[in-house]
Amino acid sequence: MTAAVLAEARWPEAGDGPPPAVPGFVHSGFAPLVVAVADRCLRARYGDGPLPAGNRTAVVLVSASGDRASAGHVRATVAAGGRVGPLFFFQSVPNSVAGHVAARWGLDGPVVCLSPTGDPRAEGMAEADLLLYDGDAAQALLVLIEQAPDGTPGEATAVLLGEGTRQ
Amino acid sequence: MAEREHLRITGVHALSALGRGADALLAGVLAGTPAFTPVRRFDTTGRRVTVAATLPEVGTLADELTDAVDRACRAAGLDGAHRAGAALFLATHGGPHSLPAGGGDAGPEVPALAGHLARRCGLGGRTRVYTTACVSASTAVADAATLIGRGDLERVVVAAGYLVEPDQYALFDAGRAFAADGAVRPFSAGRQGLLLGDGVVAVVLESAHAATARGAPTVATVAGWGRAGDAYHPCQPHPQGHGLARAVEAALRRAGLPAGAVGYVNANATGTGYSDASEAAALGRVFGAAAGRIPVSSTKAVHGHALEASGLLELVVTALALGHGKLPVNAGWLGPDESCPLDVVTDAPRPATTAHALTLNAAFGGANTALLVGAP
Repeated sequence: MTAAVLAEARWPEAGDGPPPAVPGFVHSGFAPLVVAVADRCLRARYGDGPLPAGNRTAVVLVSASGDRASAGHVRATVAAGGRVGPLFFFQSVPNSVAGHVAARWGLDGPVVCLSPTGDPRAEGMAEADLLLYDGDAAQALLVLIEQAPDGTPGEATAVLLGEGTRQ
Repeated sequence: MAEREHLRITGVHALSALGRGADALLAGVLAGTPAFTPVRRFDTTGRRVTVAATLPEVGTLADELTDAVDRACRAAGLDGAHRAGAALFLATHGGPHSLPAGGGDAGPEVPALAGHLARRCGLGGRTRVYTTACVSASTAVADAATLIGRGDLERVVVAAGYLVEPDQYALFDAGRAFAADGAVRPFSAGRQGLLLGDGVVAVVLESAHAATARGAPTVATVAGWGRAGDAYHPCQPHPQGHGLARAVEAALRRAGLPAGAVGYVNANATGTGYSDASEAAALGRVFGAAAGRIPVSSTKAVHGHALEASGLLELVVTALALGHGKLPVNAGWLGPDESCPLDVVTDAPRPATTAHALTLNAAFGGANTALLVGAP
């Protein structure tokens, strides 16, 4: 079974500035970039949302480095004997921003975060495919994101996969 | 569906504060003595809480994972040719290493760590790395089960590792997630939070055909699995456990078993107020009034929360408990909490009279998993 691409979006596109801040997430551009590209992709299909309950839409977040800026800040602060801010606890795993997107749009399928060992898009598509095959998901929102080595936001792509026709 | 019911666990290995090896893990959870002690692995000056369940004299995470994979493969009786065809699914935290403290060679970070492990252990199949927080390992098992059931793979080694280290420790402390009284009390009145624990685990999963063809031992079976989201909050579980309930229902459906077949639940319960209540609500949603009659325990009260590795550590606990015929205790119990109306196993292990048990996990992001384990 190969899932159809129902919608796809990128950030940045021409004219985009930095993605808007996301309440509860600090210091790093990782979460704002995930939210911006996910919102853009889902709006193309669903307007303002949210989706009706029981949609079984998975969130599959694929990132080799994760939130490098936040992890680097925590590493440096702890190594220096300092105290990290409590908000860093809540954004210490990629699940948190995936859950933010899921809650905002009502996506009640599985949440899966992968660090790709091969081609990120292929690995994400393969994960979405197995979740759809298994039936735990009826659709999957695939988010591909990498930050630059210095932690600044790079690019992100979001792809909504499922049965249906491309829009 | 029939071949899925016979998915076999043919080899396991686990490191935790209870010791090295499956026997030490089983003995420790049946003894029910919490393994929390003052942290000596790194400096906890300035932290609110200064205890965790750590094993003295551990190597780097990369070295301990290598050892765990190798020992699980040996326990399963995998020779070089069998290893060469096996996939490796790794569950661990991403980001920079914070151990060994002060630097030193910690080995590669993820995702390169997976290839490093595979090469060292002679595993030649595909690799995947799960960074899905506290459902990383259980999701890896579910995915492996799907791919084996579909016929894509015959054999997957799932490995998972977390060794208590300064960065996550500082984050959990800052988030006031730790139990300030130094004890984990799942589902209990007076519970104050979680405590971290070491967990480096490997499990060999095989199709019934592949296992039978080489006369492999059977530790347990994975009869069903399910994954579902809460769509509720970035970090908090749904108060009524909606996602976890749907994960359990999916696991039962996939196994082709009625809810009444489940005779034990190894709970996710971390000892956190709202989280444990959410899990109890999920069990009530699935099992109705019978939820109060199914023996339940969270062994995190003994070995601590191993984060990305917790799902695999607790799968091994559940498999060994079923095989041994004793259900482990839920340590730290002070008394019942009306928000958790469950039959919690306190005081002493109970005889296991069941062939099927659930092991549940939940994570930030509203991610939930259920694995349905069958006795060998």
